[in-house]
Amino acid sequence: MRAPIPDIYQFRLPNGLNLMGVEYQRVPWVSLTLMAKRGAETDPLGKAGVADWTAEFLTLGTTRRSQLQLAQDVESLGAHLHARGDWDATCISLDGLAEDLPELLAILAEVVQTPAFPEEELFLLRERRRAELAQIMDEPPELASRRYYRLFFRDAPYGWAVRGEPESVDAIDLSDLRAFYCREFSPAAASLVVVGMIPATQVETEVQRLWSAWQADSTASPPYTLAPTNLCPPGNYLLDRPEWSQSEIRLGHLGLPRSHPDYFPLRLANYILGEGGFSSRLMTRIRSELGLTYGIKSLFHFRRAPGPFTVSTFTPARHTAQVVQEIRAVIQDLREGGVSPQELAEAKSYFTGHFPLSLETPRALSRRLLSMDLHNLGLDYLKLYTERINAVGLADVTRAAQAHLHPEALVALIAGPAALCQDALADLGPLTIIDEN
Amino acid sequence: MTRSRSLSAAGWQPEISIVSYRLDNGLTLFVLPDDTVAGVSVQLHYHVGSRNEIPGITGISHLFEHLMFRGTETLGPEEFSRLLQSKGGEINAFTTRDHTSYFENLPSVHLELALSLEADRLRFLKLDEENFQTERQVVVSERKLRSVDSPFGLVLEQLFATAYTQHPYAWPIIGWDQDLRRLTLRDCLTYFRSYYHPGNLTLVIAGDVRPDDARDLVDRHFGQIPAVSPPAPLNVVEPPQRGERRAVFKKVSMVEAFFAGFHVVGLGHPDIYPLTLLAVILSGGNSSRFYQQFVRPGRAAEMQVELSPPPWTSQDADLLVITAVAGPDVSLAELEGDLWKQLEHLHHAGVTAAELARAKKLLRSQTVQALAKNFYRGLLVGLFHLKTGDAHHVNQMLKLFDAVTMEDISRVARHYLREDNRTVVTLQPVSPEESANLGSLA
Repeated sequence: MRAPIPDIYQFRLPNGLNLMGVEYQRVPWVSLTLMAKRGAETDPLGKAGVADWTAEFLTLGTTRRSQLQLAQDVESLGAHLHARGDWDATCISLDGLAEDLPELLAILAEVVQTPAFPEEELFLLRERRRAELAQIMDEPPELASRRYYRLFFRDAPYGWAVRGEPESVDAIDLSDLRAFYCREFSPAAASLVVVGMIPATQVETEVQRLWSAWQADSTASPPYTLAPTNLCPPGNYLLDRPEWSQSEIRLGHLGLPRSHPDYFPLRLANYILGEGGFSSRLMTRIRSELGLTYGIKSLFHFRRAPGPFTVSTFTPARHTAQVVQEIRAVIQDLREGGVSPQELAEAKSYFTGHFPLSLETPRALSRRLLSMDLHNLGLDYLKLYTERINAVGLADVTRAAQAHLHPEALVALIAGPAALCQDALADLGPLTIIDEN
Repeated sequence: MTRSRSLSAAGWQPEISIVSYRLDNGLTLFVLPDDTVAGVSVQLHYHVGSRNEIPGITGISHLFEHLMFRGTETLGPEEFSRLLQSKGGEINAFTTRDHTSYFENLPSVHLELALSLEADRLRFLKLDEENFQTERQVVVSERKLRSVDSPFGLVLEQLFATAYTQHPYAWPIIGWDQDLRRLTLRDCLTYFRSYYHPGNLTLVIAGDVRPDDARDLVDRHFGQIPAVSPPAPLNVVEPPQRGERRAVFKKVSMVEAFFAGFHVVGLGHPDIYPLTLLAVILSGGNSSRFYQQFVRPGRAAEMQVELSPPPWTSQDADLLVITAVAGPDVSLAELEGDLWKQLEHLHHAGVTAAELARAKKLLRSQTVQALAKNFYRGLLVGLFHLKTGDAHHVNQMLKLFDAVTMEDISRVARHYLREDNRTVVTLQPVSPEESANLGSLA
């Protein structure tokens, strides 16, 4: 009958590949993901995008099939093949109807184990990425986020864009992609996640048949776990975009790694600060009371190494300085005054009430399993989730907020029309004008 | 939907089980029972969208959606969201050209709370000048985000304004900037009285609930709300286009692009099925024609056929839009010429059996995947009912896709994707100085 939290099965192949899965009952669907547990943090300096390009390259031809043949075969099954690099991991996913599992699993095995790295595809991929970059640079939210992380992390990992930077488009060559593949795609540092309407025994048999022979020539890079040391000094930075009518605002400081014991208290504190939509203080103050934005949120990006804590919003340009000031005040207030018992109770009941609903689809379940595996959260993580949320007390949240929110260390980037906001921003304190690079 | 308790994909059927009720005050209720997940999707679809607006008050439907969260006689601003979210719910709303929809996806034990709060804001919404002014300012910011500063927002607005000459689909859902500034609280109150009442409301509850229990709960909270005659049906038709229309939009941009719109059909018309399949054949997936011809070689950053598939297709004749974004150093004129050649070839040669089979399988699998969500199943039923008057049509959808032939595809390609039925708006990049000289963007 209805099981709110699904059981997870797992086994390891002799070559080290870890299989995790869930028998999913609602619709005859299957989500397959091969995750290599290294990602864009290993991109060489000046070659941002290597992990992500490699992922896409695997889908551009195998020793048996060309790009077109592969796309036709996948889409003839009504399936979707998707490959992307991310921080800490690179994933190749194939989603389709459960009835096609043997074929889907075989295609995924072929893509991951026997890529052809066809030279002619590199030129095409480069042109596509060049076209995509030109388009992205017209999107204010995207441009602001990219520029912010580059400003904040400088040359450290997590500072460049996963899909690549303008200067890397011509710098990346086929040997970079081959090198990433040979180094990071190894069964001992990879997991295969299968969520679908298929019995575990069948999955196990098929996986053994198709994935046992996969061997790697080398071991993966050491995981990147340390906090960077040479970060951008706190302060306000302005990127002039005279043609925009609004300012994009990004503001934050260094956060925590996923492995930090304060993960749950801090998730709850941040829900109250800016992750909880209309239940959050930032949304209440900046949108509901002042009407100065359509949306605002704060996020701790929990990764293997400490990721950023970032507040993101936008506002009509003439309100820019006021919004920056208000955000600082809201963060300061939460850090100094803590949260109320009612706020915490509502945050906890949101997390516990929403949790089962967040496992509704195969893809959502799959994402949970991948994260559990990547961050070694344990196979019982889903079962213990509610308990862990409920165990967080008011003192834990207050302590976490005090320890991990640093209003004095904020780095703020404002991208917008300087003519409409520069003077007011300068009144807030030192303002550094930066360019697009 | 008949759900298999076992892991047998073969025994699974995609049918959605639909139980319908009608309250004495005219409220229509659909219950879609399914106990796989201990949650429900509660959806209130008011049959009013930008289609019901008139020049001068464009954007009022969407602005009103915002006002519905600003409190009631007993609840403060946004307290509605906070209360339901604290039960684990996802709460949101969206406005389209044909309807304004509010939803709560939440644990089924809180179904009654959601219904009571929805009924409360329908009966006792607090509309005052302060709330109105704050939310109008928020919407002005939203318009800047979605239209003014977005790469193609204003260009697409120009496309619809050029393609539709008489039909309300001519204006954007978010409204023209000057109308947003002109609207008054009084306009909103009049709007509320006209469109927010049980007779204009379709309520859907999808998920872990017994139909009769759901009906009793709805009756308890909505049954006392007085009936009001529903607004007279709005019959508006865009006259057939009699020749290509073209426009140019100049703005600061890193890319050159054009957008071609073709008048097609609304959700209730059978041609929506071959048209949806045709859109998939042309640009759905990496084996599609446009991907192989234009995107894969980098000639276009984007060459996409956009036609909202059922149930998202609009109620009246929709616009199929081809978005073409040129790759760096690619001539936009050449790209456009090549696109028309592709369509010309399609008119003569049609599509292959393999292409059609692939498109059908893609649509089938996308539907199966989406049926995993109570939210989507509720939308299917609610939107089909609103736009076609036949909720049960959802259970025919996959069969209708399956029945499409290669001849159907050729016929709709020739009939709809032709020059006389086409509107083209070109985005021409200019420098920030030239842009400033052209006046402000709004």
